[in-house]
Amino acid sequence: MASLIHCPHCGVRPKEEFSIRGDASLVRPDPEASDEAWNDYVHIRSNPRGRYREHWQHAAGCRRWLVVERDTFTHEVFSVADAASAAREAGR
Amino acid sequence: MTRTYISRHPLEDLLPLEPGIRAVDHLDIPRAMAIAAVMAMDGEEAAVAAGLAASGDVQVRFTGPGEWLILSQSETPEELHRNLSLLLAETAYIVDQSDGRIVFRLSGPNVRRILAKGIASDLHPAVFEIGTSSNVLCGHISVNLARTGENEFELIVMRSFAVALFNDLRVMGREFDLSADFSAQG
Ligand SMILES: [Zn+2]
Repeated sequence: MASLIHCPHCGVRPKEEFSIRGDASLVRPDPEASDEAWNDYVHIRSNPRGRYREHWQHAAGCRRWLVVERDTFTHEVFSVADAASAAREAGR
Repeated sequence: MTRTYISRHPLEDLLPLEPGIRAVDHLDIPRAMAIAAVMAMDGEEAAVAAGLAASGDVQVRFTGPGEWLILSQSETPEELHRNLSLLLAETAYIVDQSDGRIVFRLSGPNVRRILAKGIASDLHPAVFEIGTSSNVLCGHISVNLARTGENEFELIVMRSFAVALFNDLRVMGREFDLSADFSAQG
């Protein structure tokens, strides 16, 4: 597990200050989408070995949601961004 | 039935009534402090930050983007709330926290070695400069940590965690004979 996370608001922090929600690449389906699409969105997760984008919350710090891109195998952290700005950039 | 509520500090029973011998490393606990939480409305973050920076007599602590804790030693909670409302009218939400937060003032030559037992953030003088403040984890408790002097830090914690944090700080400071008392200034 990556042990130091560079929060864009608070600086370098230990992973103990964060709580992890999981996959940040999921896009919520349309309300009228099929049951399969909703089942995939709610329940089905891959467990990748390598690069992975996750939602982390800086629970004991600024309390903001972040998008952390890291490698689940090498523990390397590639980027950390505020989740609200990441969503805005993605046009959501 | 009417009840009379009496303001009572959570460490009332844990600290002696008479001030004890003060060690070089000391934990000073203000009995009463006016504290308010300020959250900028959407898009007003920079305006609120500028307003707070110009407000003079209060201390401004960063808690998150667009969110601050404001401390005042000279004002009552009501005065602080009123003055902030006038200053930040229509740009921020202001909530009184004076009964909800407890302030700890830790000072002395070994202050960083004491804090290092609970806080994993870098507190080197060149990194965590005077005036810096941030929410950090101390043991299992989230606190707002500010550097207020060369070797002086202030920790602000939610009232219900004050006793636990106090006990933690005592253990963290035992090696250096840390003393603790209510603040003489009240
Ligand atoms: Zn943060």
